[in-house]
Amino acid sequence: MTAEPTNFLYPFIDSEERDATALLVDLAVSARGKMAQSRELQLATLSQWAHEVETVAADMAARFARGGRMWTFGNGGSATDAEMAAEMFRHPLSGRPLPAWPLVDDRAVLTALANDVGFELVFSRQLIAHARGDDIALGLSTSGNSNNVMHAFGEAKHRGLLTIGLAGYNGGAMAGNDKVDHCLVVRSDSVHRIQEAQDALMFELWSVVQRHLADQSTLEGSPT
Amino acid sequence: VPNPIISDERELAIDFAALEPVSDNLATAALSLARRFAAGATMWCVSPSWPAHGRHVAVEFVHPVIMGKRALPAIYVNDDDLLGSLRVLVRPGDLVVAIGNAEDGKIASLLRRADAWGLTSVWIGAGARPPASAADHLLWVDGVAPDVAGTSGAYVLLYHLLWELVHVVFEHPGLLPEPAACTDDVCITCSDEGRLVEVIEVGGDDTAWVLAQGHRERVDTTLVGPRVAGDLLLVHAGTAITTIEDPAMGATAQ
Repeated sequence: MTAEPTNFLYPFIDSEERDATALLVDLAVSARGKMAQSRELQLATLSQWAHEVETVAADMAARFARGGRMWTFGNGGSATDAEMAAEMFRHPLSGRPLPAWPLVDDRAVLTALANDVGFELVFSRQLIAHARGDDIALGLSTSGNSNNVMHAFGEAKHRGLLTIGLAGYNGGAMAGNDKVDHCLVVRSDSVHRIQEAQDALMFELWSVVQRHLADQSTLEGSPT
Repeated sequence: VPNPIISDERELAIDFAALEPVSDNLATAALSLARRFAAGATMWCVSPSWPAHGRHVAVEFVHPVIMGKRALPAIYVNDDDLLGSLRVLVRPGDLVVAIGNAEDGKIASLLRRADAWGLTSVWIGAGARPPASAADHLLWVDGVAPDVAGTSGAYVLLYHLLWELVHVVFEHPGLLPEPAACTDDVCITCSDEGRLVEVIEVGGDDTAWVLAQGHRERVDTTLVGPRVAGDLLLVHAGTAITTIEDPAMGATAQ
C-alpha cells in the first residue's frame, strides 16, 4: 500500500498505527459532516432552481398529458440515476404512473451501438429509433460534458423533444447550449454531492409534474 | 390525491435526521470493508428490488469518481437464482452488500448464509428493521418507508459515504491487517458456541458435507435427521445439533 498524500493530517505514522478507535470516531464525524454538506447543497440547489423546476415540470406535464414519453440517459452512476428517475415516474410513490424508460437498460443495444458506431452515439441512435415529437429527453452528466449525452440532446432537439439536462461543476458543455432547453446545474465540484443534489432535483421534478397532472385532472373533472 | 412527501412541510425528499444516526455503523462497516478488500476480497452487490442501486454501488468501487483512488473488485449480481449463483461465485473472506427492505426474502436468505460461506455482510435498508444478527453491518434508515428511502436518494448517499470512508481507511495502512481472531478469552471458534453451516451434499451414513466459514467439512447429522442440500444447521464439535430457519423458505423440517 502506498502512502496517501493526506497522511500528514493524522497523528500516527502510517504502519505504526494499530488502534482503530480514533479512526472510527473520525470516520463517523466525517460521515455526519458529509451528510450536512449534502443537505446544504440540496437545499441550495432546489432553491436556486425553484422557478426553473416549475417551468420544466409544467412543460413535462403537458407533454405527458399529450401522450409523450420520457427517455433518460447518463453514464456510470448517472446511468443508474437515470434508471432510478425513469422508475420513479413509471412506478410512482403516489399519483399517476408515467411512461419513462432509461436508454441504459439493454446491454445488447448498448454494446451493439458502441461496437458498431461508437460510444458517443449509444443514446442518440436509440432516440432516432424510439423518440417522437411529444417526448422528453432527460440527460445526466456530473461534468456536463459527456459526449454521448450531448449527442443525444442534439438528436432530441432536432426531433422536437423537450430536452432537460442535469449537470454539475459549472455546467460544462451543457450550460448555455441551445440543444438543451433547460439546464439545471448543481454548483459543486464533488461528483458524489452533485449526484445527490441531482437526485433531489429529479425527485422535485417528479413531484411537481405529479402536482401539475393532478391539477389538470381536477380542472377536467376526471378521476386521478 | 394528498401526498405527505409533496407537502410543504418537508423541504427535501431525504429525511436527514433519520440518516444521521447511521454514521457510526457506516464507520465500522467502512473499516471492515477496507480490511477485507486489503486481504483480497471481492464485494458482491445484490439488490433484487432496486437493480439500479446494486449497479450503482458496484460502479462506485470499480471505477472511482476521484482520480487516483484504487479500483476495487465489486460485482453486481442479478439472478433469479441468487443463492445458486453466489454459492459458486464467492470465496471465503469476500464481502456481500445488499440493498433492500427487511421483508426482502432473497436478501435475508442470502445473508443467513454469510457465516457459512465465510462472507462479511452489509445490509442497507430502511423502515422496519431485520434482526440485528441478519448482517454484520446494518446501515438502516429508521422511520423512513423503504420506497421513499430508495427513491429519494437516501440509499445513494449512504453508499457514496461508504465508498468515501473505505478510501479514508486505506490512508491508514497500519489498521488494515485484520486483528487476531483469538485475542479475548472467548472466541467463537474455540468456545462452546455452535457454528452456522450450510449443507452442500448429503452422505448416506448420517453425515453431510457442509460449508463452514466457506470451507468444506463433514458433520454428523444423526441428531437432526436426514437433510437436503441448502439446509442450514448449527454445528458443534463436528455434530449438527439443530436446524436453522431459512427466512425465505420458512423453518426447515425439525
